[in-house]
Amino acid sequence: MHETVFYVAVLWLAVLGVACGAKVLLARSAGSRILALDTLVVVLIGLLVLWSNAEGVPFFMDAALMLAVLAFIGTLAAAHFHSDGRLF
Amino acid sequence: MSGLDVGAVLGDLLIGVGLLLTTLGVVGIYRMPDVYTQLHASGKAAFIGTLAFLAAATVAGKGAVDAKAILIALFLVLTAPVAAHVIARASYKRGEPMVSADAIDESRRGLVDAGGEPVEEAPDTD
Repeated sequence: MHETVFYVAVLWLAVLGVACGAKVLLARSAGSRILALDTLVVVLIGLLVLWSNAEGVPFFMDAALMLAVLAFIGTLAAAHFHSDGRLF
Repeated sequence: MSGLDVGAVLGDLLIGVGLLLTTLGVVGIYRMPDVYTQLHASGKAAFIGTLAFLAAATVAGKGAVDAKAILIALFLVLTAPVAAHVIARASYKRGEPMVSADAIDESRRGLVDAGGEPVEEAPDTD
């Protein structure tokens, strides 16, 4: 039961990640693209947490935390560039 | 050993909830017509879905996984609303049109456009 839930969840999250990646490519506006990238990272964090939990390996948690930090800074930078046309 | 079973079942349930919410979020960014409405799906559903995964890790995980899951959850709670706000503000400053049927642009910059055509310049609103 537990194994089945894990495999279904990982497979489905991978599908969702691919869907988010496709949205990044297909988005109609730049703001929508930034948003899709942000959502993709959220899905990836969920995937890493799930994997780390099932395998009992805490190292993936560090990767998820770093991904969250980098995605936040990246979103801030991209949004600022989108609105003002320059980074700083 | 019954306590361990409860933890595993609760973890599975939380994973199911997280899958449901994340799926709703991703469907939302496909279904919604513009950034401002897509932010609702991404900023609430997908983000809370990931929080459910982190809760599952805390319920069913081992010691070292627990603390880091709480740390990540704390960080996400602090940063996800800020990121959503910054995206909305940048899109608004850039003048991306609102294409949903009943959008209301309260500052009257002329962003509302039901036809979906991009608005080049804000009209005079004397």
